[in-house]
Amino acid sequence: MPYVIPISDAELLFPDYTFITALTPGEQKAAFHVKDADGRDLCLKIIAPDFSIDRLEREIIALQSLSHPNVVNLIEYTFSTKRGQPRHYIIEEFIEGTDLSDYLIAGQSLSEDRTLSIFIPLVEGLSALGRSRIVHRDLKPSNIRIRSDETPVIIDFGLARLLNLPDLTATAEGAAIGTPKYFAPEQFAGTKHDIDHRTDLFALGILLYMALVGNHPFFQTGMSYQDLHDAVCNSQDHLSVDEYIRLSPQWKLLIGRLLEKHRSRRPSSASQVAQILQKIRGDS
Amino acid sequence: MRGPWHQFGDRSQRFALELLQSGAGVGVVISPRDLSWDNAKDYSQQYHGLNAQVLIDQQFYIPDFSNPRMESYPISHHRISISQLCQIPDAKLRDLSNQLRIINSELSTEGLIAPAVVYEAGRQDIFQLNERLFSASKLVGDDLGIPTFASVMLGQSITTSDHTIDVALSQITSLQSDGWYLGFQFEDERIPSSIDSVSRFCQVSLTLACTGNPVLHAYAGPLALLSFGAGVTGVCIGHFQNLWKFSPRRWQVRTSQQGGGGDAPPRFFSTNLWGTIIYPDELVQLPLSLINRIITPSPFSSSVTPSATVPWSRWEANKHLVYSICSTIDSITSSNDPRANANSAIQILDNAISLHDDIKNHEVYLADNTDAYQANWREALINLLSNNSSDYDYLDLIS
Repeated sequence: MPYVIPISDAELLFPDYTFITALTPGEQKAAFHVKDADGRDLCLKIIAPDFSIDRLEREIIALQSLSHPNVVNLIEYTFSTKRGQPRHYIIEEFIEGTDLSDYLIAGQSLSEDRTLSIFIPLVEGLSALGRSRIVHRDLKPSNIRIRSDETPVIIDFGLARLLNLPDLTATAEGAAIGTPKYFAPEQFAGTKHDIDHRTDLFALGILLYMALVGNHPFFQTGMSYQDLHDAVCNSQDHLSVDEYIRLSPQWKLLIGRLLEKHRSRRPSSASQVAQILQKIRGDS
Repeated sequence: MRGPWHQFGDRSQRFALELLQSGAGVGVVISPRDLSWDNAKDYSQQYHGLNAQVLIDQQFYIPDFSNPRMESYPISHHRISISQLCQIPDAKLRDLSNQLRIINSELSTEGLIAPAVVYEAGRQDIFQLNERLFSASKLVGDDLGIPTFASVMLGQSITTSDHTIDVALSQITSLQSDGWYLGFQFEDERIPSSIDSVSRFCQVSLTLACTGNPVLHAYAGPLALLSFGAGVTGVCIGHFQNLWKFSPRRWQVRTSQQGGGGDAPPRFFSTNLWGTIIYPDELVQLPLSLINRIITPSPFSSSVTPSATVPWSRWEANKHLVYSICSTIDSITSSNDPRANANSAIQILDNAISLHDDIKNHEVYLADNTDAYQANWREALINLLSNNSSDYDYLDLIS
């Protein structure tokens, strides 16, 4: 559920910042483009009062352990009791530009060169997550910002899971969070020990398929949750689409592996995917 | 690490030394069950002196199994039951790491094989335990600057179905390992022969190989012929039949003495049969033309002649067997391409099937069902090449 705060209220709460505009609110987080006293462009996120503090801490730990040009940079996390109310907020770098949704338009595919130029750095960002044992769990076009120079940046770690720490949820719900349209089969199954870095690689496979084929491999307008579940967990129809068949054997091999139902058959890491993309690009 | 390794069993240390001196094998996998800690240290220096690589398999498969040799190792106090091991506190796990560090440092191992319990279907506690044991091992491997191999010992509750294998491998391959030390429990027979089981083994190997990490096929025995065609990078071979497939029974307390070979004559391993023939009893029943095809010599078979009736030394027969398998593996692995390796193995099996047919045409039926598996192995490999073509393409893509 998006958490919305009117910009005028936010300005009263944070007078040290100049508010430029409200950004698309996230899961229980209101977001604003602000400038600090030094004129730096920043993203201020105000956390909903009922948001899980444990989960917030995970997000903070996840972001603090990372420093990578393709992963959003956390600048500050603050807990305060302004105006008598407890408030948690985080300041991230503001990423000027757009997001991947603007590139992945239904019925239109990207050129191979453009796909490589966006996805190689994106996968390098994912590799950085993998090295820190972080699973994003909600990789989707709107969570990938694209700078004006077309550099992708992974944002919103609100659902991230740190594999080195015990999971927060003991129930099936623990796995089945995120955005179903980009779920891997194991997210539908809802068993938390089945979630690992290859869950993000499945979502990456969906994004890569959308970029090169021009359509989502599983989702069609009007589909119910159950239909989507069946398609993701059982269907191989996406491999018979003409636009997919026309791709080069290397692309098909990579996308086919990323979209494998069993994690053991997916690429073992984002680094391996990066290596393959570089090979496709013709790097030595 | 590519090539054949000596898998230790009982009285293997000098045996391996002699084989390495004759140029067979790239390294040894020490077995605490069969070699004391002092001897392991002593012999590892000798193996290194021959430019052989050394690994030690801690053998936590049945973790509360122990014997006097195992008790001589500094890690022995961690040999406790699965249920106790599942509860092991972090402090004790750190101690286990320290013991692994001591053992692997003293033996100057080229890689660290992480201890692990045999995986069984539906046993999430074992998966979690092995993950903890692996993490504790990986820290040590990284500190020592050597690769850490995850032990993937698949029990029969897993190896009997594709589904249980998929489920197990999906979880096992989440380990951030640098390599896989794979054991596969087959049906209880001398040499695995079922097409289904052997196909499943090949698919498991290929899946692990597609992670991009080296795969060491433990307890391979003669089945090593197929391994490289399934993406494996190293095979571990021992001379005893109980080292020819992974069986947890090796680490269970025996309640009664099991029968051995007694005074039975030794078997001659023929690379052309890819199997054994009892020497000299069965061999002498055949015409010279067939005998000459069957006898594939090695530095350890000089006393084997087409007309001899004198029994052959059992130990020489064992050395001949391991040497013969190692030299065939060396020849197969001259190519780095798993598809080519599979086709080389198919060719060897084609010849073996034809030779067995010729023997049967002379109304001689070899003991031990020694012709029971070659045709099935051949079919398993052919199916693998055909059904898993994209896996081979993927291996090529990531190489």
